[in-house]
Amino acid sequence: MDFETLSADLRSLQDRALKEISAAADPEALEQLQIQYLGKKGELTGVLRGIGALPAEDRPRVGAVANVIGEAVKGALASRVSELHSVVQARRLAAEKVDVTMPGRPIARGTLHPIPETIEAIVSVFGQFGFVVYEGPEVENDLTNFQMLNIAPDHPARDLWDTLYVDIPGHLLRTHTSPGQIRVMETEKPPIRALLPGRCCRYEAVDASHGFEFFQVEGLMVDEGTSLADLKGLLDEFAHALFGPRKTRFRPGYYPFTEPSVAFDVECVVCGGIGCPACSKSGWMTILGAGMVHPVVLQYGGIDPEKYQGFAFGMGVERIANLRHSVPDLRYYLENDLRFLEQFR
Amino acid sequence: MRVPLSWLRDYVDIQQTPEQLAERLTLLGMEVKGIDRWGAAWQKVVVGEILTVADHPRADRLHLTTINIGEGEPLHIVCGASNIAPGQRVPVALPGAVLPGDRRIERTEKMGIASEGMLCSGDELNITSDAEGILILPSDTKLGVQLSDLYGDVVLDVDVKPNRGDALCLMGLAREVAAATGAAIRWPEITIEEAGESVESLLRVDVREPGLCPRFVGRWVGGAKIGPSPDWVQMRLQAAGMRPVSNVVDASNYVMLELGKPTHTFNGAAVQGRTIVVRLAQPGERLETLDHVERQLTPDTLIIADTSGPIGIAGVMGGAHSEITDDTTEIAIESAVFDAVSVRRTGHRYALRSEASLRFEKGQETRLARIGADRVAQLTQAWSGGTIAVGRIDTAPVEPEPTRLTFRPVRVGMLLGAPIATSEQRELLSRVGIETESAPAGSRIQVAVEPRPLVVDAGTDEVLTAIVPTWRRDLSIEADITEEVARIRGYETTPAHLPDTLMPAYRHPPTKARNAMRETLAGAGLTEVVTHALIDPADEAKLEWPDDDGLSMAEPVAGRTINVTNPLSAQHSILRRHLAASLVDVLALNERQGRESVAIFEIGKGYGRSGDLATEWNRLGILLAGDATPHSWTQPARPFDIYDAKGVVELLCRRLGLPEPSYSPDDRGYPFHPGRALTAQARSDKESLGGRIAELHPDVLEKWDLRVQRVIVAELSISGLASGDLDRVRVEPMPRFPEVDRDLAIIVDEARPAAEVAESIGRHGGSLLRRVALFDLYRGAPLAASEKSLAYRLVFGADDRTLTESEIDGAMAQVRAGVEADIGARIRS
Ligand SMILES: [Zn+2]
Repeated sequence: MDFETLSADLRSLQDRALKEISAAADPEALEQLQIQYLGKKGELTGVLRGIGALPAEDRPRVGAVANVIGEAVKGALASRVSELHSVVQARRLAAEKVDVTMPGRPIARGTLHPIPETIEAIVSVFGQFGFVVYEGPEVENDLTNFQMLNIAPDHPARDLWDTLYVDIPGHLLRTHTSPGQIRVMETEKPPIRALLPGRCCRYEAVDASHGFEFFQVEGLMVDEGTSLADLKGLLDEFAHALFGPRKTRFRPGYYPFTEPSVAFDVECVVCGGIGCPACSKSGWMTILGAGMVHPVVLQYGGIDPEKYQGFAFGMGVERIANLRHSVPDLRYYLENDLRFLEQFR
Repeated sequence: MRVPLSWLRDYVDIQQTPEQLAERLTLLGMEVKGIDRWGAAWQKVVVGEILTVADHPRADRLHLTTINIGEGEPLHIVCGASNIAPGQRVPVALPGAVLPGDRRIERTEKMGIASEGMLCSGDELNITSDAEGILILPSDTKLGVQLSDLYGDVVLDVDVKPNRGDALCLMGLAREVAAATGAAIRWPEITIEEAGESVESLLRVDVREPGLCPRFVGRWVGGAKIGPSPDWVQMRLQAAGMRPVSNVVDASNYVMLELGKPTHTFNGAAVQGRTIVVRLAQPGERLETLDHVERQLTPDTLIIADTSGPIGIAGVMGGAHSEITDDTTEIAIESAVFDAVSVRRTGHRYALRSEASLRFEKGQETRLARIGADRVAQLTQAWSGGTIAVGRIDTAPVEPEPTRLTFRPVRVGMLLGAPIATSEQRELLSRVGIETESAPAGSRIQVAVEPRPLVVDAGTDEVLTAIVPTWRRDLSIEADITEEVARIRGYETTPAHLPDTLMPAYRHPPTKARNAMRETLAGAGLTEVVTHALIDPADEAKLEWPDDDGLSMAEPVAGRTINVTNPLSAQHSILRRHLAASLVDVLALNERQGRESVAIFEIGKGYGRSGDLATEWNRLGILLAGDATPHSWTQPARPFDIYDAKGVVELLCRRLGLPEPSYSPDDRGYPFHPGRALTAQARSDKESLGGRIAELHPDVLEKWDLRVQRVIVAELSISGLASGDLDRVRVEPMPRFPEVDRDLAIIVDEARPAAEVAESIGRHGGSLLRRVALFDLYRGAPLAASEKSLAYRLVFGADDRTLTESEIDGAMAQVRAGVEADIGARIRS
C-alpha cells in the first residue's frame, strides 16, 4: 500500500459516492448512503484503516485528502436532501391545487336599521360640540308636552300637533321630542347642551311622507349669551357633516315654544339649488325647525330668562335619512322588509 | 290661504314677479307653499261674438249660433243656453279645448247638426257659480283673445302661521308685502250712504255674555234684491277658493277674505221679534245649521238666538232657518267679536270648523267689528241694491289704543348674536307699522308673562317703547319685538358663529350599551328592525307571551296595557308590552315577500300602566327562522334551533361582561314548544339580563299563517339597555404555569339535564378546576336506549406551580366519585 494507491482508492470512492447520492430517489436512500460511506463502519473509515501501512510522512497528506473527500460527500448529501425535499413538497402542492374561482364561504352579517343609525350620525356631529344625550318618556303628560311649552289647552297652534291620547288621565303619546327640553332643564343647570332622540306619535293618516309613529332628535343649548348666531354656526356644521358642503339659510318659522322661531333650509340635495320637483322648484329643502327658547319655557324649566338664553332645534329623523339615502317612502322604515334593510350594509 | 295677485294689487303695488314675491314673503315668515296659475285649466278658450242665434230644427232647447272669433270663417256652434243674443261677447271653447276637470271639447254633432266647439258657462270655466247661462263678457272685450290671458291670474298659496291671524286676509298680506318691498298700502274706500229708518228701529241686540262676545256691531240693509254677484266678484272668490253663493253672502265672504273679518248675514224677516240675543244655549235646544245638519246644542255653546230660539252657533255657523234665500229682501248684518277659546271649543265639540271659526280662533281685534259691518253693508248695497238703515248697533263702541311695549335694543342684538344699531331697529319696525319712541326713565321691561310675569329694570341699557298696532295681537314681550326686528331684517342675515362658552360636564350616552349590543348582534348575522310601538290588541292576545320573566329584573314587564283612546285604527290601538308579536309580524311580512330565512332583532320599549302612572321598559327581542347556515357548496343547510338563540345570548353576556347565563326549562306549553323553552338569567354586580328563549308552538305558526317549520324567539330584559355605560374590562394576568386538560365522559339518563351534570362536576372539582366545557354528546351502542354520554373537558391549573400528575389524578377521582354519587352517573372509560 502506498500513498498513490490509497489516494486513488479514495478518489474512486468519492466518485462512486457522489454518483449514488445524486441518483438517490428519496430521503431514506440518502440516509442509507450516509451510513454506507460516512458511518463508523463506513467505506471511508475502511479505506483510512490502511493508513497505518504508510510511511509516517505520508500519513498527514492522506488525512488531508480524506477530509476533503469526507466534506464533499457530506455536502453532496446535504444538498440532495434539500433537493429531494422540494421535489416532495412540489408534488404535494401540485396535488393540492383548488379552484380559486369558487365563491367564498358565506359569513352572515346583519345590518343596522337606518333610524337608529341616522340618530347616531346626528348625535355624533353634535357630540363633537359637547352635546350630551338624554331620553324622556314617550307616554308624556299634557303639561310637559304642551302647556310648559307655551301651548295652552285651547291654543290655536294645537292644530299643528294632532294628538293620540291614552287612557291615563292627562297623558298622551308625545307629539314631539320638545318636552325633553323641560325634562332636561328640570334636572340640569346651565351650561346645558342636550340632545334628545326618540319616538313620537301623531294622529296622522299614513302615506309616503307621513306616519303616525316617527322619530325626532331635539337639541337644546342654554347659557349666558347663547344666541341665534351660535345656532346658525352649529347647524351649518351639522348640515355640512351630513350633506356635504352646501349653502344653508334661516327663514322665519313658527313654534309657540321658541321666539324667534326659524326654519333651517339646506340647498336642495337633489338639484343643488337650481330648482326641481323635490324642492318644489325653490332650490331649498327645510331640514329642521329651531329657534331661541321662549322665556315661558325657560321659566317652566326653572331657568331665569333674564340671565340665560338658549336655543332649541328639532328634526325628523326620517326626513334626514330620506335625504341621505334617497328613500322615497316613509313607510319603508317601520315595515321592515329585509330587501330594504339589507341595503344598509 | 289662497291669494289672487290681481286682488292683492288692489291694496298694494307689486313690482316683483310672482316668484320673487313668493320668495320675499317666505323669507318674511309668510311661507308660500305654491304658486298656482289660475286659468291654466282653460286651453283654447277664446273670446267670440255671437253673430246669429236660430232655433234648432229638431230640438226645442237647442240653438244654432254663428260665432265670430276675430279671424277666419264664423264658427257654427250648437248651444243649449237661453240667455244668449246676437252682439254678446262670450267664451268659446274651440275644438281641442280643455276645460277645468280635464274636460275635452271636440267637434261634435248635436241632434244631427255639427257643432264646432262650445259656448261656456261660468260654472264650466270655474269662474262663477252660474251653470245655467253662458258667461256674458263685457261688450268691449277684444275678440279672439285667449280667456286665460284675459282672466288668468296668479294665486299664491300662503301658509299663515297660527299666531298671525291678522295676516289671514288680503289686507294683512298686503301689509306684509309692503314691509318686504317698501311699497305703501291702500285701504279700500269704505263709504256708507245711509237712508230711511234707523237701525235701532229695525233690530235689537242683546248680548248676555259680554265676556264671550266683547263687541257686537249690527247693521241693516232693506229692500235688497238677491241674485248673483258681479262676475268679477265671483271670479275673485273662485280664485281664492271660495264658492260664490249670492250677492249678499258673497259680500260677507268677500269682506272675510279682504279684511279677515268674519261676519254673518241673516234674513232679517226670519229673525223673530227683530231681536238678536247672544247667549249660551239652554238644555234641549236644537238648531239646523247651514249645512242642513240638525244639531243638539249643549248648554256651554255660545249661540245667536232670536226671541223664538237659536238661529246660529256664534262664530262657527249660521242656522238654515234664517239663511239668505232668493226672496230675502231684509238683511241683518252681524259683525261681532267672539272669544277665541270659546269658538275653538265649540268647533271641536260639533266637529264643525269653518273659514269663519278658523279666524275667530286666532283672535280678532275689536276695531274690525265696526269696519267689517260697514264694509259688508257697503258691498251688499252695491251688489244687491237696497237701502242701508241709518246708524249701527254697537254693544261696545270703545276701541282700545295701541299697546305700548318696552324693549332694550341691546338685548335684541344679544339674542340674535349680532348688534343691530338702534336706528336700524326703529326703521325695521316702522315697516310693519310699529312706531318707536324713547321710553321714559325708569321704564321696566316685560321679559315674560307666563307662567308668572317677569318684569325687570332696564338698568343702564337704552330702552325704547314700541307702539304696537292693534291688529298685532301676537306681540307682548321683549322677545316678540326681537323676532319682529329679525324677521323684517331677514333671518338669512344671521351670522354663523360656533359657541365659545363653557361645555357641560361629561355624561355617558344612555345609548352606549345599546349600541354595543346592536353592533354585536349585527356582527353575529342578525338584522336590526324597528317596529311600531302601537300594535293590534289581537296580536298580543294571539301570542300570549308571558309577562312574567320568571325573574326579578331591573325593568320587568309591569302593570296593565295602555290603550289609545282615539286610535287611527284597531291595528294600532294599544301600546305593546312585548316585542315578540311584532317580530313575528315582521317574519310574516318577509315570508310573503318570498324570504325563507329571517334572523332579526329589535331593541325597543314595552309600555304599561300602574294606576295612573305610565312606565316604560327596554326589551331586546330576537327572532330566528329558517336556515342558520344557508345551503352552499361548502356545507349543507342547517336550520335554526334554540341553541342558536342561546349562542347569541351567551355572546351578548360576554360582550356585556356578564357571567354565562343559567338556564331552566319551561314546559308551560303554548305559546312555547313545551320541550324547547327556557328562561335565561345572568347577573353581575351592575348589570343583569333575563328573559325567555323558546321555539314557538306550532299553533302560533298556524295562527300567523307561516310557512316556516320552526321559529325561535327570545325576549330579554337587559338593565344595561337603560343605564348606559358598560362594565369596564379588568385584565387577569396570564397563567404563569401551564394548565392541564382532562376529558371525562359521563353516562346519564336521557332525561338528565346537562346543566346538572356540569354543575356537579364544578361542585367536586376542587380549587384546581378552572373550567368545564361540554364537547361531545353520544347516544347509541354500547349505551342503553335510555342513556346518553356527555363528554366534558376539564381544565386544571394553579397560580403558583405546575400541577403534578398525582394532584390532577386526585382531583379527577373526586369528580368521578362526586358525580356518581350526586346523580347516579356512570363514568365511561
Ligand atoms: Zn331641488
